[in-house]
Amino acid sequence: MKNKKKGHNIKDITRGDAVVQNLSPSKVLLSHLICGIGLASSFWLAINIYSINLIDNPASTLRLIWLIEVPVVVLLYSLFRKDMNQSSYLKAVARGLLGLPVGAVVHALGAIVLGAPVGTQYFLRTLNWSLLMSTFTFVPAASVYGSSWVDWHRIFAQTKPIGSIDYMICLPAHGAVIGGWFGAWPMPLDWERTWQEWPICVTYGAIIGYLVGMLASFCSAVFRVSSQHVKGD
Amino acid sequence: MAVTEWWKNTSCGGRRSAFMVFFLVLLLHCIAILLFTSGFLLTRTELPHHSQCSDVSQSPCGLPDRSPQGDHDGVTCWTKPAVDRLVIIVLDALRFDFVAPSTFFEEKKPWMDKLQVLHKFASESESAARIFKAIADPPTTSLQRLKGLTTGGLPTFIDIGNSFGAPAIVEDNLIHQLVQNGKRVVMMGDDTWTQLFPHHFNKSYPYPSFNVKDLDTVDNGCISHLIPTLYDDDWDVLIAHFLGVDHAGHIFGVDSVQMIEKLQQYNEQLEKVVEVLQSQAGRGSLHENTLLLVMGDHGQTINGDHGGGSAEEVDTSIFAMSLRKPSITVPPEFDASSCKLDLDGREVCISSIEQLDFAATVSALLGIPFPYGSIGRVNPMLYALVAGTWNLEDYDMSSSQSQLKLEEWMHNYAKVLCINSWQVKKYIDVYTASSVIGFSVDDLKHVADMYAQAVNWSDSLHDVASCKDEACRTSFDALKKQIDLYSNFLASVAELARTKFTEFNLRMMGIGFGILLISIFIHVLVIKRVDDITVFPSRETSSVSFGLIVSCTIVTARACSFLSNSYILEEGKMTNFLLASIGMLGLRHSIMTKKMIFEATAFVFLISILRFTIELGLSKPQEVLDFHSWMYVADLMPIVPLIILACLLYKSIACSSCNRLLKFVITGSIFSYILLALHWTLESNLSSMTPLIFDGIKGNFIPRAIYIMGIAQLLSLAVLQFFEEVEISKWGEMAVMKAVAILSVWSSTLMILSGKQGPWIALASVVGGWLISRLKGLEQDNKNATTGLLALYSSPVTQWSLLASCLFFCSGHWCAFDGLRYAAAFVGFDEFTIIPQAILLTIETYGFSHILPTLGLPILVAYKYSSNEAKQTRQSLIQLFQVYLIYGLIMAVTTTFTVLCVIIQKRHLMVWGLFAPKFVFDVVGLILTDALICVSSVFYFIQT
Repeated sequence: MKNKKKGHNIKDITRGDAVVQNLSPSKVLLSHLICGIGLASSFWLAINIYSINLIDNPASTLRLIWLIEVPVVVLLYSLFRKDMNQSSYLKAVARGLLGLPVGAVVHALGAIVLGAPVGTQYFLRTLNWSLLMSTFTFVPAASVYGSSWVDWHRIFAQTKPIGSIDYMICLPAHGAVIGGWFGAWPMPLDWERTWQEWPICVTYGAIIGYLVGMLASFCSAVFRVSSQHVKGD
Repeated sequence: MAVTEWWKNTSCGGRRSAFMVFFLVLLLHCIAILLFTSGFLLTRTELPHHSQCSDVSQSPCGLPDRSPQGDHDGVTCWTKPAVDRLVIIVLDALRFDFVAPSTFFEEKKPWMDKLQVLHKFASESESAARIFKAIADPPTTSLQRLKGLTTGGLPTFIDIGNSFGAPAIVEDNLIHQLVQNGKRVVMMGDDTWTQLFPHHFNKSYPYPSFNVKDLDTVDNGCISHLIPTLYDDDWDVLIAHFLGVDHAGHIFGVDSVQMIEKLQQYNEQLEKVVEVLQSQAGRGSLHENTLLLVMGDHGQTINGDHGGGSAEEVDTSIFAMSLRKPSITVPPEFDASSCKLDLDGREVCISSIEQLDFAATVSALLGIPFPYGSIGRVNPMLYALVAGTWNLEDYDMSSSQSQLKLEEWMHNYAKVLCINSWQVKKYIDVYTASSVIGFSVDDLKHVADMYAQAVNWSDSLHDVASCKDEACRTSFDALKKQIDLYSNFLASVAELARTKFTEFNLRMMGIGFGILLISIFIHVLVIKRVDDITVFPSRETSSVSFGLIVSCTIVTARACSFLSNSYILEEGKMTNFLLASIGMLGLRHSIMTKKMIFEATAFVFLISILRFTIELGLSKPQEVLDFHSWMYVADLMPIVPLIILACLLYKSIACSSCNRLLKFVITGSIFSYILLALHWTLESNLSSMTPLIFDGIKGNFIPRAIYIMGIAQLLSLAVLQFFEEVEISKWGEMAVMKAVAILSVWSSTLMILSGKQGPWIALASVVGGWLISRLKGLEQDNKNATTGLLALYSSPVTQWSLLASCLFFCSGHWCAFDGLRYAAAFVGFDEFTIIPQAILLTIETYGFSHILPTLGLPILVAYKYSSNEAKQTRQSLIQLFQVYLIYGLIMAVTTTFTVLCVIIQKRHLMVWGLFAPKFVFDVVGLILTDALICVSSVFYFIQT
């Protein structure tokens, strides 16, 4: 009975904010493109300006990537904050920044349970990796939803996104986590490549998953618009 | 018809039908595995025949020449003897780069160039000495190599299994031929020789090779007897087997001070040996015609391991030195050696020899019959080194004369090869006739053609060679062709044998694998059927759930990972990774439904603890810290979980109203725990403080008492089974109590075998099992009764089985024979008797990962069983049936993939080092699980 009631509540809320929730596919594409360009430019900076790369200097490259990606994501997603009327843009930015360390702790713990190596030489790598993962998952959600437990629960536990902003957060985040999970698989192989070390291939997997998630979110936005057109006709 | 009738009418929860199904599965698995194993672990059929001196008259090569010197006994046996006495010094695990000069390698390592004495003699042009690179056939363990060296054959996997209690060689072998032909053999060093050849040696000085940490006992024993024996004249063949290098490698690795010290010691000793031999090498002296062989039986890796087929392990060395001066130089066609300057500017040449050829070559040199099963070829370089010294005094060293001598030698060598080829051909023919799995017809025909060609050529040659004047000596090329023909024949036989004796019987393997697949198909069919009868047809139900999909993915991923050697090596971490994944999904699920978040978090936490335990278990145990107070704590720590377990047991009997006998059994287990705690206290550093009364029960008394108690408890449970009729309505509670009782019975024995980690792991498995049972409720409540049993139970059972295999790795095991904890076999026993020790070892190895989880599965079903209706009981019996089916299926699927992996990787470098042990572990585990499921079906199920 309790369950049903809550489900009902969620529906009400979403119906109320339906206008805010849905973005046009071009906007979705634009924001995803900005995120993607942020990632690409951080890689470009790392290789061409700082002459470091993920394989030889994982910790410092990861740090560079999240340092660039965090402002992009926070500033972008704060635009789509859910409680537009109650909280200001700055508050949403602050929420996003607060979400960064919290998400990092969750990701680091998860990685350690799954078997990430522990030790002082891995500390910086794990720290920077989990901050990057947090940028992909927790930071946008924190910016948009704030401390709304109901929304968090809907997106991450139940995976029931409604509206394009939900999709924009939910799909890339799940993509990054699933991609990271698959990225761990080559690690035990005896190919003796440097990229098999923690967390290099996991990062690659997560980034690929993130990109695929963004693509999927864009596709879903396009699909939703077209289906609405069909309905309208 | 009967089957379909049964299929329609059976009530799946009944004892008889359950037992029937599980027994059928067990039977199918047994048949499949037997067939597969017989095709995979092939043994070479050992022929009982022995070579005789007189056999040679059947050969097409003519009778051997009479010895030109009259001082021999006139008749030679197969070949003309080239040496009278032989000194074989075996240095165990002698790497090739210990012997060869460092200039042969890219980089000079600290352990190279230590056996300088060998370089010195190999480089002196006037001494007949040479270094050979000897290539062994895997498996490269001492016993197998000694067998291979003396029989001239190829060993197979089964031999490794036998090496536990090294059996005597019954096949024809070099040592047997030596004794048969009146040679006196003296042995000193490694006692493996006396196990292999118990009655062959005239004198032997064996030293135990068992203690790997002991670098010096065997070597010092050898050294103290070697030099004095060299002055004696009551032997013909001397074998000295040094073990120090092997042991130093195992303990310290190749790049260590101990290893270099050992090599320096050997250098010193070898110098002395050569000195003694040279001092007596004059005409008519003791060692006038002696051959010295310094050889390794196999190599070793940098870490000191051996057994596999990598180049480091396979490459070893033979140093041969004749005390006569050489007279011929072998034409380059036969001489595949490479020469380089060593660090002192001396030119050292290195030839190559297969270890397979050792028995034939030594037999030819000593003039004794070749071992019957030898398939080696007489090595030209080693033969030339010694046999080239005949008639040295009769010729001048002019060039025309040396050409003449060369032809003389080639003539001899061709003749030896003729006998060699004849003997090998005879062996191949007899082997094909008498062995079940012989050679294929095509291969045999090919080999026979080559042999016929060689023999025909030799017939035409005989006419030419029979004339003795100068004109006829132009047969140099003809002789060379002859030698080539024989060599080619022998090489192709060796190649054929290598593929065939290590070849697998693909048809048997295929049939076995097919039956395994059929059994899985039946398994799935039964599961589907049980799933169907429990689903109510009226309501619309989903038989597929998220949990089912995840479980299938996880099980398939785990199974597929066995196709790669890397994942098998990291199996512990892999399993933990998958368990953690499924555990985190569970946590997500519990957050979603907002129920049992504590349990789900605790489960994830438990997995992370297991993860660190696995990593600790994989690294070798470290030295205990030297703090006194800390040591007391470490000694007594295991007693804490023991007390917790005992409390849990006490609670379980206190708050249930079950049979008195069951309660009695569980109380017995609590008593066992107390004994266990007492035992560990007495063994610990605290023992000095304990009262003297306990001295009487130190040592073996308590373990034996616990074993006996365990057996008695099991017997009483069996008795209970026969005399107690369970009311249907009370089945749930009864099943839980029975499970607790039988688990507690096993746990006490298991904990004493596992040592001090035992209680911790037992506690972890109890907590894990409890959490999984609790979390099962999450899914059950959520879905009500609308989903099928399969969808409901797949996820908990998968977690259960993953947790079980994690416990296997947590308790410090891994799937290799060195992962067995042999020490466990001697808890409570001081002497080795095969049956009790094997049982104890099996219990210790499979206890936490197979025995306890399989017997404990009813807890998963009957946990929190509340309803007392008979109808509900029937329902849960079907559930239990389904759970056992799923559990068995998961085991069968993983094992099937291991089998598939073995089929695919049968030519892999690590097939004997990694895949075969994994196969053996999995197969034994599967049969054990199946058998335990059968037992459980009798124990838990009731006739409905």
